[in-house]
Amino acid sequence: MGELKIGQDRWAAEAAARSDRRRQRWSEIVRRVETANPLLLVGALAALGAVVVAAGNDYLLRVAAMACVMAILALGLSVIVGLVGLLDLGYIAFAAVGGYTYALLSSDQLGVQLPSWAGLSLAVLLAVGMALLLALPALRLSGDHLAIVTLGFAQVVLLLAVSMSRVAVPWSTTPLNVTGGPNGIVGIARIRLLGWEVAGQRPSFILLLAVLGLLFLGLTALDRSPLGRAWRATREDALAAAALGLPVRQLKLLAVAAGAATAGLGGALYAAWQGAVFPTDFGLDVLLTLYAMMLLGGLGSLPGAVLGALLLAVVPELLRSPATAHMLFYGGLAVALLSVGRRGAVALGLAALLGVLVRLTAPWLWSDAVTIQGWLAVPRDATTAGNLAFVAAVGLLLAASRVRRAPVQVVLLALALYGLIFAWEVRLAEQPSVARQLLFGAALVILVIYRPYGLLGRPRVEVG
Amino acid sequence: MIEQLPQQLVNGLTLGGVYALLALGYSMVYGVLRLLNFAHGDVFMVGAFVGQGVLALLLADNGGNGEAALALPPWAVIAAMLLAAMLVSGALGVAIELVAYRPLRAAPRLSPLLGSLGVSFFLQNAVLLIASARPRAVATERLLPAELGFGLGTAQLSPVRLLVMFSAVALMVALHVLVRRSRLGRAMRAVAVDRDAAAMMGVDVDRVIAGTFFLGWALAGAAGVLMGLVFNRVWHLMGFTAGLKGFTAAVVGGIGSMPGAMAGGLLLGLAAGIVSPTYKDLIAFALLLLVLLLRPAGLFGQGARPKV
Repeated sequence: MGELKIGQDRWAAEAAARSDRRRQRWSEIVRRVETANPLLLVGALAALGAVVVAAGNDYLLRVAAMACVMAILALGLSVIVGLVGLLDLGYIAFAAVGGYTYALLSSDQLGVQLPSWAGLSLAVLLAVGMALLLALPALRLSGDHLAIVTLGFAQVVLLLAVSMSRVAVPWSTTPLNVTGGPNGIVGIARIRLLGWEVAGQRPSFILLLAVLGLLFLGLTALDRSPLGRAWRATREDALAAAALGLPVRQLKLLAVAAGAATAGLGGALYAAWQGAVFPTDFGLDVLLTLYAMMLLGGLGSLPGAVLGALLLAVVPELLRSPATAHMLFYGGLAVALLSVGRRGAVALGLAALLGVLVRLTAPWLWSDAVTIQGWLAVPRDATTAGNLAFVAAVGLLLAASRVRRAPVQVVLLALALYGLIFAWEVRLAEQPSVARQLLFGAALVILVIYRPYGLLGRPRVEVG
Repeated sequence: MIEQLPQQLVNGLTLGGVYALLALGYSMVYGVLRLLNFAHGDVFMVGAFVGQGVLALLLADNGGNGEAALALPPWAVIAAMLLAAMLVSGALGVAIELVAYRPLRAAPRLSPLLGSLGVSFFLQNAVLLIASARPRAVATERLLPAELGFGLGTAQLSPVRLLVMFSAVALMVALHVLVRRSRLGRAMRAVAVDRDAAAMMGVDVDRVIAGTFFLGWALAGAAGVLMGLVFNRVWHLMGFTAGLKGFTAAVVGGIGSMPGAMAGGLLLGLAAGIVSPTYKDLIAFALLLLVLLLRPAGLFGQGARPKV
């Protein structure tokens, strides 16, 4: 690194070396995680789980249990999309089939109460069967066509879940309520395995964590076996894999089956944990969240899928309480500005100056039309003003990202910053769910631009 | 059942016109970028809101005697709604392409797809924040009173449906002429065939892609206005299912093919209009699966051979 090439600036060389070192350190971490003994990673998970169990308040346990469910589902998705590279947008339907099957077989909905082991295995089997039924014709399609067919499939499953509350049956005059429609199925029996009844938040969480750990171990073993290598070969170039004599079609079917089994189990466990299933539990937003989790963790990395799921399941929870939401909002703004560098700091100063100026002059200019809230001057029609500020701030941010000239960019950034803070205080902080989803959408776009391979993913070249 | 058929045909043709406009935009963008653009339906939704906003603005009650009157003749109001929605949607599309899609030209295939999902989420929630979750009414009745319609056999041709069919056909013809005859259209077709070769022949690829997004999303905006007029309301979730239908139509017709997009849209609209409304999603899916299994390239598709 010390050697300067002819015509190379010393400062530029140092900067390049720094960024190289940073990148190297990160890829070293990625390599370590990839080759680590999976038992170590499971041990880390267990330690984390032990802390949660010890801290033991109900809310924390619920969040942690939900994170486990999402991690299980993300693992299955990671097999189908990450390892074999099938763009499956109907994955969530497999979880729905598992959840509804378990719900129907262990509640009063149809008057059937199978033992838990039977319900769970049937849920997994049905999910796999459904997936293969879809995959057999659909795998003839490639890439985007597969995506749209599977997406349509998911919509149909969801539609059936909503509309099968009044099914006409030939042997009876009253229609049969199968799925409960939008009201879902409630009163699902708890899981009872080997005489152990999983009741309460703590045992449920322990069960979910144990299943997650076992699934992770099993799938990692598959991933590192010859089968896993064959899957990766298929993902990189199906044509070349076939030329090497790999049974590409069977490999794909096997991956779909493995993923669907994981999804079915995840869905069934979710139904048992919640004690109810609703169509909205398996909506497209859940699928998108799963994709974001997998992508954040790194496409094709199983530890990445778990990490991404845990991160994305826990962080939005922090946005629920107003105090932490404020902290996260302003903290996030500060981090974003720091990553922009000196221009960000100047923009922050300008925005503060603008704020003080408006705060001081507004009551004097329009004395009857504004009220002072904290350090903001808020017009009487606060809602409209907040909406306008939001739209303007987004527009200004977009403009600032395109402008190269420093003074213009700084001014745009400062204005955007002021608008964003105004919109946050006046509108967004009142509607945390909308704010969360807005943030989620924006974060997804930024994530795919700046880290297309996720936290634990490997950059790779795509063929074709 | 059978006496309802003509009416259902009319309804199906109306819906099909809207789907076809959506499918055209999808198909154009897919043609040049190979991108499954999930935000397409949401720009359609934004277009519908712009149309509703313009109508509400021009319906402002003058004099304050309660009875709102149109500030302009109805045809001018409709033209203004369509024009505003097309401009806003098109401009929004160019901005989205610039910020969210352009940095991803060389990224793995999954990235732009997820990016478009992010954009879709963002747009939906931005509109939800600004317009609230309650659907907004579109005063179609004020614009096109139902008395203007006429019966055709057992079918009732309401003026709204006539307007939708007429505008959809007019827009499609305009687009066809643009793509076949203009310089931009020729450049678009060249980029769709081979982006690198087109760049080497002196085509400004970035500008062509931006232009494609503008056109595709302007059509979506117009479709949004028409949809709002037909159903008398607009709401923030109307884009997703409509976008899905538009894409299904594009795939059924053969993605990348413009006559295919039109045919697919009409076919889907007719199928949805004739079959019971509860199961129209099911029908759309069955149709999609059937077409893709029999003709994987779609009805009018060229059947692209994989390049190795």
